[in-house]
Amino acid sequence: MSKLNRRTLLKSGVAGLAASTLASPLIAQSRSVRIGSYGGYFENSFKEHVYPAFTEATGIAVESITQPNSSDWLVTMQQAVAAGNIPTDISLFARDSMIKASRIGELIAPLDLSKIKAASNLDSYFVFEGNEGPQGVGAMSWFSAMVFNPNEVETPTSWADFWDTDRFEASLGMGRNYNAGLFDFTAATFFDGTETMMSNDGVIAILEKIAELKPNVALWWTAESQMEQSMKNGDVVAGQYYLDVANLMALDGFPIKPTFPKEGNLQDYGSWCLTAGSDKAAEAAEFMNFSSDPAIQALMSRKIGTAPLVDKSMTDLTDEEFNFVSGAPAIRPAYEAYLDNETFIKESWDKMLAAS
Amino acid sequence: MTIADDISVSRADRPERRVSTLPAKTILLGLLTSIIVVFCVLPFLLVLAISFGRKVDGAAWVWDFTFDNYQRFFVGVLWPDEVTFLYLQQLGFSFYFAVIASLLAVLTALPFTLQLTRLKRTSQAMWLVFIMASLSLSEVFIVMGWDILLSNNSGLPKLFKETGLTQWLKDVGWFQHLRDWGLANPRNVKFKTSDFATILTMSYLVWPYAVILLYPALSRLDPSLSEAARTMGASRWTVTRTVTLPSIRLPLFGTTLLLFVFLLGTYVSITVFAAPNKHTTAVAIYSNIRGANLNAPFGATQAIMLLISASACLYLGHVFNRRSEVR
Repeated sequence: MSKLNRRTLLKSGVAGLAASTLASPLIAQSRSVRIGSYGGYFENSFKEHVYPAFTEATGIAVESITQPNSSDWLVTMQQAVAAGNIPTDISLFARDSMIKASRIGELIAPLDLSKIKAASNLDSYFVFEGNEGPQGVGAMSWFSAMVFNPNEVETPTSWADFWDTDRFEASLGMGRNYNAGLFDFTAATFFDGTETMMSNDGVIAILEKIAELKPNVALWWTAESQMEQSMKNGDVVAGQYYLDVANLMALDGFPIKPTFPKEGNLQDYGSWCLTAGSDKAAEAAEFMNFSSDPAIQALMSRKIGTAPLVDKSMTDLTDEEFNFVSGAPAIRPAYEAYLDNETFIKESWDKMLAAS
Repeated sequence: MTIADDISVSRADRPERRVSTLPAKTILLGLLTSIIVVFCVLPFLLVLAISFGRKVDGAAWVWDFTFDNYQRFFVGVLWPDEVTFLYLQQLGFSFYFAVIASLLAVLTALPFTLQLTRLKRTSQAMWLVFIMASLSLSEVFIVMGWDILLSNNSGLPKLFKETGLTQWLKDVGWFQHLRDWGLANPRNVKFKTSDFATILTMSYLVWPYAVILLYPALSRLDPSLSEAARTMGASRWTVTRTVTLPSIRLPLFGTTLLLFVFLLGTYVSITVFAAPNKHTTAVAIYSNIRGANLNAPFGATQAIMLLISASACLYLGHVFNRRSEVR
């Protein structure tokens, strides 16, 4: 009896599996594409403002896929692809995760740029050339900026101000991960920027400088919400935080103000990447083409708070709207060093933090 | 295998009538065994296998058979040019926080539970249900709660400021000491990050377990023993020291050990409340496996080392128990 039950169960399972695989070509006929983005407010804004505009323009339906962030999504993708699944057609990857995905191989597919003509609006830096050709088209960019509590401290004008213990003793909130930005800020402020990051000696010299900052840091945050709460609660009075979120918080009346110090803020960006093995290459290309349009870049800046990847003059953004999401100067992360020397940099960073 | 062996032995002794129910039992046991194998043994073996893998800088990791990760755990990645005990230090802090927090939880739960067993049956049941219910709160909730309670504008520091305690501390000059210990910034006292907040939260986290684990032993305590000692003129403290504590020595020790092992893997409390120079192996494991650098092999190695250390502690506890039983 139990054997019979098990067989029936197996049969129905197999039938179910077959049905789900058969179903996918049916959906393909009605033109749709699955697009990943970071869950929460960010993804909701895409679902509300960007995807409907895309469907209206092209007739391609969008199924939104929630990604936790870039690096964790890369782990998920790797496991899913190894198991023979394609979790999404398009993923949103930050540059370092995208380069990793490209190097790991068989995760993101090369793109046919002749079908993504609008990508020529972007600076060539934002179209990523991997081992197998172009593998990512810039989606939007974001700044990790200097923020401060205007009720408690004067506007800092340089990252070097943070080293002033008289002003910031046990008062700063900085990113906990080695590649969160402090390396880049310090290198840009006291050294030769990205160049210094390229040698082990340079990395050690930067870390010695960062070690001097430790007494001033009250919070080493890993989750965005930690910094948000600490600024609201007054546990910290300055630090680094996302420019767009800081501006939104300020609009809600919280005591936070972002500023561009003379060395600049850290600019990172996300790229749309096509999952290897996806049969939606054509739809994906149409979406990437759509998102590279200056009008859509401006739409994202207004509705999601991301910085446009096209020149401001190509968009209809006002100065006020532009300054809400972007600014100058921009510090670009030392991706190359972070990737090629990551084990050394991570261990040295952890050692610096662990020293008492 | 051992489960199956046990069944065949016991079947020989049983009457014929029961034999007919055995297939169902065997199936059930086989099912349970396979569940344990699939959900416990296989994942563990996978972690063990991954710990011998190799990290490729700038990409992910690949299967391999190398002891480099284990070497790195003891002396760092640059050995022999440079030596670092970073990972041993992190393991040390795992022990440091777990030992203090479990001891604190048991020591505070002990008098409470003792009082609890002297209450009426219905009040006892109500307290136990209340304590059990608090177990449904996850670590994240508890940490969030303490985070707010210790925040500058909404918690203890606010109370310090509003009651004038902060000003008083400044006036008498003790505020400077707090700043030196990292418990204040120039504006007010602060409890995040601090050992105080970390240990407090971790103890709070396991306190209900301590009560529930101690309760059976304490409720079985024979009150006539301590009453007899009292009538013979022993003071309250002498009774506690020479009668009560020795008779609950084993459950007390067992509870502390269990909570300690449980706390070795604490993650959220440490990331939120502990200063980065006191971060533990659990935090390091996460930052290797998820995080930005995708070094699952080294994360797995640290997990194995944490497991070995925890097992060693449990084994030592077992040996200690048996010795004291013999005595």
